[in-house]
Amino acid sequence: MLSRFRHIAIATAAVVVLVACGKKEPPVAPAPAPAPVPAPAPAPAQVGVTVSSVTLGRAVGADKKVTASTETFAKGDTIYASVDTSGSGSATLSARWTYSKDGKTVPVKEDTATISATGPATTEFHISKPDGWPVGTYQVEVATDGKTAVGRSFKVH
Amino acid sequence: MSDMPDFSNVDSGSSSTAIKIHEVKSGDSLSKIAKQEYGDAAKWPLIFEANKDVLKDPNKIFPGQKLKIPPLA
Repeated sequence: MLSRFRHIAIATAAVVVLVACGKKEPPVAPAPAPAPVPAPAPAPAQVGVTVSSVTLGRAVGADKKVTASTETFAKGDTIYASVDTSGSGSATLSARWTYSKDGKTVPVKEDTATISATGPATTEFHISKPDGWPVGTYQVEVATDGKTAVGRSFKVH
Repeated sequence: MSDMPDFSNVDSGSSSTAIKIHEVKSGDSLSKIAKQEYGDAAKWPLIFEANKDVLKDPNKIFPGQKLKIPPLA
Protein backbone atom coordinates (compact mmCIF):
# COMPACT_ATOMS: atom_id res chain seq x y z
CA MET A 1 0.00 0.00 0.00
CA LEU A 2 2.77 2.32 0.99
CA SER A 3 4.63 1.43 -2.15
CA ARG A 4 1.58 2.27 -4.22
CA PHE A 5 1.29 5.71 -2.70
CA ARG A 6 4.99 6.22 -3.30
CA HIS A 7 4.56 5.39 -6.97
CA ILE A 8 1.62 7.77 -7.28
CA ALA A 9 3.57 10.52 -5.59
CA ILE A 10 6.56 10.00 -7.84
CA ALA A 11 4.37 9.94 -10.93
CA THR A 12 2.57 13.09 -9.86
CA ALA A 13 5.88 14.86 -9.20
CA ALA A 14 7.17 13.79 -12.58
CA VAL A 15 4.09 15.16 -14.28
CA VAL A 16 4.47 18.46 -12.41
CA VAL A 17 8.12 18.64 -13.42
CA LEU A 18 7.34 17.83 -17.04
CA VAL A 19 4.57 20.41 -17.15
CA ALA A 20 6.84 22.96 -15.55
CA CYS A 21 9.62 22.25 -18.00
CA GLY A 22 7.29 22.37 -20.93
CA LYS A 23 5.78 25.68 -19.96
CA LYS A 24 6.83 28.25 -22.40
CA GLU A 25 7.35 31.77 -21.17
CA PRO A 26 6.22 34.38 -23.58
CA PRO A 27 9.26 35.64 -25.45
CA VAL A 28 10.67 38.75 -23.97
CA ALA A 29 10.57 41.38 -26.60
CA PRO A 30 13.92 43.07 -26.95
CA ALA A 31 13.93 46.59 -25.70
CA PRO A 32 13.29 48.85 -28.61
CA ALA A 33 16.38 50.58 -29.79
CA PRO A 34 16.33 54.17 -28.68
CA ALA A 35 15.36 56.51 -31.41
CA PRO A 36 18.46 58.07 -32.82
CA VAL A 37 19.00 61.49 -31.37
CA PRO A 38 19.35 63.89 -34.24
CA ALA A 39 22.80 65.41 -34.30
CA PRO A 40 22.76 69.10 -33.49
CA ALA A 41 22.69 71.11 -36.64
CA PRO A 42 26.10 72.56 -37.32
CA ALA A 43 26.34 76.28 -36.91
CA PRO A 44 25.83 77.78 -40.30
CA ALA A 45 29.17 78.71 -41.79
CA GLN A 46 29.41 82.40 -42.32
CA VAL A 47 29.81 82.79 -45.99
CA GLY A 48 31.71 85.82 -47.07
CA VAL A 49 33.55 88.48 -45.17
CA THR A 50 31.74 91.20 -43.26
CA VAL A 51 33.08 94.26 -41.50
CA SER A 52 32.39 94.17 -37.78
CA SER A 53 34.12 97.38 -36.69
CA VAL A 54 36.36 100.22 -37.79
CA THR A 55 38.63 101.99 -35.30
CA LEU A 56 40.81 105.05 -35.93
CA GLY A 57 44.18 105.79 -34.38
CA ARG A 58 47.72 107.08 -34.89
CA ALA A 59 49.47 103.71 -34.80
CA VAL A 60 48.77 100.00 -35.04
CA GLY A 61 50.40 97.01 -33.44
CA ALA A 62 51.47 93.73 -35.00
CA ASP A 63 47.85 92.61 -34.70
CA LYS A 64 46.87 95.54 -36.96
CA LYS A 65 44.67 97.01 -34.25
CA VAL A 66 45.11 100.64 -33.27
CA THR A 67 47.12 101.08 -30.11
CA ALA A 68 44.99 104.01 -28.95
CA SER A 69 41.64 104.91 -30.46
CA THR A 70 41.06 108.56 -31.35
CA GLU A 71 39.02 110.66 -33.73
CA THR A 72 41.15 113.76 -33.40
CA PHE A 73 44.47 114.08 -35.19
CA ALA A 74 47.31 116.56 -35.60
CA LYS A 75 48.54 117.86 -38.95
CA GLY A 76 51.56 115.59 -39.05
CA ASP A 77 49.87 112.36 -38.00
CA THR A 78 49.62 109.19 -39.99
CA ILE A 79 45.98 108.17 -39.73
CA TYR A 80 45.14 104.51 -39.38
CA ALA A 81 41.78 102.80 -39.84
CA SER A 82 41.80 99.34 -38.34
CA VAL A 83 39.08 97.16 -39.84
CA ASP A 84 37.92 94.04 -38.02
CA THR A 85 36.21 91.46 -40.21
CA SER A 86 34.49 88.16 -39.59
CA GLY A 87 33.73 85.30 -41.92
CA SER A 88 35.90 83.53 -44.42
CA GLY A 89 36.64 83.66 -48.08
CA SER A 90 38.04 86.23 -50.43
CA ALA A 91 36.87 89.81 -50.24
CA THR A 92 38.05 93.17 -51.43
CA LEU A 93 38.03 95.77 -48.69
CA SER A 94 38.21 99.39 -49.66
CA ALA A 95 38.81 102.52 -47.65
CA ARG A 96 37.62 105.78 -49.17
CA TRP A 97 38.99 108.85 -47.38
CA THR A 98 37.29 112.21 -47.93
CA TYR A 99 37.60 115.79 -46.69
CA SER A 100 34.63 118.07 -46.12
CA LYS A 101 34.53 121.85 -45.97
CA ASP A 102 31.66 124.31 -46.34
CA GLY A 103 29.30 121.54 -47.37
CA LYS A 104 31.63 120.29 -50.09
CA THR A 105 33.34 116.93 -50.00
CA VAL A 106 36.44 116.01 -51.97
CA PRO A 107 38.25 112.69 -52.23
CA VAL A 108 41.52 112.37 -50.35
CA LYS A 109 42.55 108.82 -51.21
CA GLU A 110 41.04 105.42 -51.91
CA ASP A 111 42.77 102.15 -51.25
CA THR A 112 41.76 98.54 -51.67
CA ALA A 113 43.03 95.32 -50.17
CA THR A 114 41.93 91.90 -51.31
CA ILE A 115 42.18 89.38 -48.51
CA SER A 116 41.69 85.64 -48.23
CA ALA A 117 40.35 85.18 -44.74
CA THR A 118 39.91 81.92 -42.87
CA GLY A 119 38.21 83.56 -39.89
CA PRO A 120 38.27 86.80 -37.97
CA ALA A 121 40.93 89.14 -39.32
CA THR A 122 42.09 92.70 -38.96
CA THR A 123 43.19 94.86 -41.88
CA GLU A 124 44.63 98.33 -41.49
CA PHE A 125 44.52 101.18 -43.98
CA HIS A 126 46.64 104.25 -43.42
CA ILE A 127 47.23 107.64 -44.99
CA SER A 128 49.82 110.34 -44.47
CA LYS A 129 50.56 113.69 -46.06
CA PRO A 130 54.17 114.91 -46.17
CA ASP A 131 53.22 118.58 -45.93
CA GLY A 132 50.60 118.04 -43.23
CA TRP A 133 46.84 117.63 -43.17
CA PRO A 134 44.63 120.65 -43.73
CA VAL A 135 42.55 121.40 -40.66
CA GLY A 136 38.99 120.20 -41.01
CA THR A 137 36.61 117.30 -40.97
CA TYR A 138 37.36 114.04 -42.70
CA GLN A 139 35.62 110.73 -43.16
CA VAL A 140 36.64 107.20 -44.05
CA GLU A 141 34.13 104.77 -45.51
CA VAL A 142 35.03 101.13 -45.48
CA ALA A 143 33.33 98.85 -47.97
CA THR A 144 33.38 95.13 -48.61
CA ASP A 145 33.19 94.15 -52.26
CA GLY A 146 31.89 97.60 -53.10
CA LYS A 147 29.15 97.66 -50.46
CA THR A 148 29.75 100.39 -47.90
CA ALA A 149 29.76 98.87 -44.47
CA VAL A 150 31.01 101.38 -41.94
CA GLY A 151 31.89 105.07 -41.97
CA ARG A 152 33.91 107.01 -39.41
CA SER A 153 34.39 110.78 -39.13
CA PHE A 154 37.43 112.45 -37.63
CA LYS A 155 38.94 115.87 -37.31
CA VAL A 156 42.35 117.37 -37.83
CA HIS A 157 43.10 120.31 -35.52
CA MET B 1 39.80 128.29 -58.77
CA SER B 2 38.98 125.78 -56.01
CA ASP B 3 39.61 126.67 -52.41
CA MET B 4 39.80 123.01 -51.50
CA PRO B 5 43.16 121.61 -50.42
CA ASP B 6 45.34 119.53 -52.68
CA PHE B 7 45.53 115.90 -51.64
CA SER B 8 47.52 114.63 -54.61
CA ASN B 9 50.58 113.90 -52.47
CA VAL B 10 48.81 111.70 -49.94
CA ASP B 11 50.59 108.44 -49.28
CA SER B 12 48.61 105.34 -48.35
CA GLY B 13 48.93 101.67 -47.69
CA SER B 14 47.39 98.67 -46.01
CA SER B 15 48.29 95.43 -44.32
CA SER B 16 46.33 92.60 -42.81
CA THR B 17 46.48 89.68 -40.44
CA ALA B 18 44.86 87.69 -43.25
CA ILE B 19 46.63 86.67 -46.42
CA LYS B 20 46.36 89.48 -48.92
CA ILE B 21 45.96 88.81 -52.60
CA HIS B 22 47.99 90.93 -55.03
CA GLU B 23 47.14 90.88 -58.70
CA VAL B 24 50.28 91.34 -60.75
CA LYS B 25 50.28 94.38 -63.01
CA SER B 26 52.47 95.16 -65.95
CA GLY B 27 55.87 96.31 -64.68
CA ASP B 28 55.58 94.54 -61.33
CA SER B 29 58.43 92.54 -59.83
CA LEU B 30 58.51 90.66 -56.56
CA SER B 31 60.75 93.28 -55.00
CA LYS B 32 58.43 96.05 -56.17
CA ILE B 33 55.46 94.21 -54.70
CA ALA B 34 57.36 93.63 -51.47
CA LYS B 35 58.15 97.33 -51.27
CA GLN B 36 54.49 98.15 -51.84
CA GLU B 37 53.09 95.58 -49.44
CA TYR B 38 55.75 95.50 -46.72
CA GLY B 39 57.56 98.77 -47.25
CA ASP B 40 60.74 96.76 -47.79
CA ALA B 41 61.81 95.43 -51.20
CA ALA B 42 64.24 93.00 -49.56
CA LYS B 43 61.33 90.96 -48.24
CA TRP B 44 60.48 89.62 -51.73
CA PRO B 45 61.57 86.05 -50.79
CA LEU B 46 58.57 85.88 -48.41
CA ILE B 47 56.27 86.36 -51.36
CA PHE B 48 58.20 83.90 -53.52
CA GLU B 49 58.07 81.24 -50.81
CA ALA B 50 54.33 81.72 -50.33
CA ASN B 51 53.69 81.30 -54.05
CA LYS B 52 55.99 78.44 -55.01
CA ASP B 53 52.95 76.53 -56.21
CA VAL B 54 52.59 78.99 -59.06
CA LEU B 55 56.04 80.57 -59.31
CA LYS B 56 59.08 78.59 -60.43
CA ASP B 57 61.33 81.56 -61.08
CA PRO B 58 61.16 84.73 -58.97
CA ASN B 59 62.01 86.77 -62.04
CA LYS B 60 59.04 85.48 -64.02
CA ILE B 61 55.71 86.83 -62.92
CA PHE B 62 52.92 87.77 -65.27
CA PRO B 63 50.16 90.37 -65.31
CA GLY B 64 46.95 88.91 -63.99
CA GLN B 65 48.62 86.42 -61.67
CA LYS B 66 47.18 86.54 -58.18
CA LEU B 67 49.91 86.21 -55.58
CA LYS B 68 49.41 85.49 -51.91
CA ILE B 69 50.99 88.11 -49.66
CA PRO B 70 51.53 86.49 -46.28
CA PRO B 71 51.28 88.69 -43.21
CA LEU B 72 54.59 89.58 -41.61
CA ALA B 73 55.23 87.54 -38.47
